[in-house]
Amino acid sequence: MKLLIVEDELKTAEYLQKGLAEQGCAVDVAHNGIDGQHLALVHDYDVIVLDAMLPGIDGFTLLRALRAVKQTPVIMLTARDSIEDRVRGLHDGADDYLVKPFSFLELLARLQALQRRGRAQEPAQLKIANLQIDLIARKAWRGAERIDLSAKEFALLAVLARHQGEILSKTAIAELVWDMNFDSNTNVVEVAIKRLRAKVDNAFAPKLLHTIRGMGYVMEARADEEPAP
Amino acid sequence: MKPSITTRLVVMFALGALATFVLIGTALYGVLDRELLRHQNDDLNTNLQNMRYSIERFGDLEHWARLQTKMDTLTPADGSVRFWVLSDDPRFLYGKGLDEMERVNQGEAGHGLLSLSLSGRTYRTLSMRLAAFNGRPPVRLIVGVDTASYEHTLRAFLLALTLLSLGAVVLVMVLGWWIARIGLRPLQRLSAQARALHPKTLSQRLREDRLPVELEGLTIAFNGALGRLENAYRQLEGFNADVAHELRTPLANLIGGTQVALSRPRSAGEFQETLQSNLEELERLRSIVNDMLFLARADQGEAATGLTPANVAHEVKMTIEFFEPLLDETGTTVAVEGERGAQAMMNVALFRRALSNLLQNAIEHSAAGARLVVTITRRAGVTWIAVANPGPTIAPDHLPRLFDRFYRVDTSRHDTGETHGHGLGLAIVKAVATMHGGATLARSDAGITTIAFSIAG
Repeated sequence: MKLLIVEDELKTAEYLQKGLAEQGCAVDVAHNGIDGQHLALVHDYDVIVLDAMLPGIDGFTLLRALRAVKQTPVIMLTARDSIEDRVRGLHDGADDYLVKPFSFLELLARLQALQRRGRAQEPAQLKIANLQIDLIARKAWRGAERIDLSAKEFALLAVLARHQGEILSKTAIAELVWDMNFDSNTNVVEVAIKRLRAKVDNAFAPKLLHTIRGMGYVMEARADEEPAP
Repeated sequence: MKPSITTRLVVMFALGALATFVLIGTALYGVLDRELLRHQNDDLNTNLQNMRYSIERFGDLEHWARLQTKMDTLTPADGSVRFWVLSDDPRFLYGKGLDEMERVNQGEAGHGLLSLSLSGRTYRTLSMRLAAFNGRPPVRLIVGVDTASYEHTLRAFLLALTLLSLGAVVLVMVLGWWIARIGLRPLQRLSAQARALHPKTLSQRLREDRLPVELEGLTIAFNGALGRLENAYRQLEGFNADVAHELRTPLANLIGGTQVALSRPRSAGEFQETLQSNLEELERLRSIVNDMLFLARADQGEAATGLTPANVAHEVKMTIEFFEPLLDETGTTVAVEGERGAQAMMNVALFRRALSNLLQNAIEHSAAGARLVVTITRRAGVTWIAVANPGPTIAPDHLPRLFDRFYRVDTSRHDTGETHGHGLGLAIVKAVATMHGGATLARSDAGITTIAFSIAG
């Protein structure tokens, strides 16, 4: 994925560039609106991450100038969670927005969602190592053994499996599974993951549901956790 | 110019006095005028009767000559009283300016007003017809009194009255100014007190004793405002301290942990451990900052947007469903009671956020296996959602402050790491209620604590 980051705050730009490059993206960085506009218009990016407050040309102006020429997907970064900024950004043609302070994981998730957009229909079956999930029949197996899950447990498993290899924060999980669209200060997700893990992972190998401390959870088959003998 | 109470009072006193004097003056002038008229008429009558008696008794020319002498004598040198006798016989005529008298066609014994051109004077007259006697033909006797002196009296009276009234008005103004100054003295004392209020001594108040009743209401209201300001200020001070305290712990952990990690060579795994721990603290900071930004927006009066009609019971059910893993884990049950059909306009995400804070609170503050009750009630266009949990009774003086930021009933429970959230949960509930035009309520007795919020519409 080829990305352009337009962000005047140097430290932010630096960690975004580093993090996204490590995720396999080709990242260009502009530190002001004028350079940003030039790069955005000259090159074809998959996604542009655009700060709203910029020296030179502000983000909204840049966005309008860009939209006059092309439809590159844009994620706006705004400092204030104000309705006006949001409406203005979306009205001017932003595809998504993030409010500072945002987490890197959240940005990654939004980028992946933008990339997935317009992709072919999801498969009806998901398979991770020996975990098999039938999204239509809403059933899951570990090897040959059927796993008995409640509706919400299945929904949680499906969300994790759909995003396999992606780290999902607790907030993202609460949103995707329960439609709880806010930073909740509860340990509900931890408990739910613990219970799901007891059913899906505890009695089986390899372990698929991993906790990334401080960040969230990821479902993936890891090379160093090959089936125990 | 700014309006002045003293000026207003003085002007009003002056106008009041002027009106009073004009009324009294007019009445007095009327009385005097009438009395003077009566006096003139008496004068005329006396002179007329006197002369009539003399004329009626005699009829010959000899006596007539004596009568003429008498009338001459009775006519004062200044001509203030005059006599006229009119007759067809020229011998029996008397008086100056008779040609003009002829024109005065007065009725039998009538009063009249007459201007004589020969002296430029005006006379009030009284006339009488006398029958013929002996050799004398019938005559008409007319007595005139000069009105100049009466008019002079009236004019002098009017002038004196006007001057006296104006003088009195001026006197009333001066007195009124003095009275107003004295009367307003409590107000000056009050403003002197208000000026003396010091911004540092917030507990200072205006003295309510020794004040007239008229100023009592103002003073009490003013002191009330001072009290509210003091509370808000103290809350703000406390709030700043709380924020600093709340941020200090994660910051100290971050700095300390990082310093320890960097103080000697370590393996990548150990650094990873430090970074993970740091990340947890940073997430905590982010969460506090985000919540405080949210509260700040609610404080600025931002109303909830994206309102949609929703079934309240459905939203309650969805939120409870979110808590199911936790409820299962602790063996807690939740019952939904009340009006399940209630519909309300709400921002669904905010509503769920508020309710999930209440549920989280209720689960935390009740023992495992407890039964929570969520009650939906609707009255007067307002929907109330109450969450009740069995648990230790909260003292009444804590109840209203539960919704304050960072307020904790049990201060010793600070920073044990056992509770989730950071003391902003109920403040957020209150903010959500406010953004929906609602309110909050806390009740605790007999081992049941109920915390509720409402949304309008």
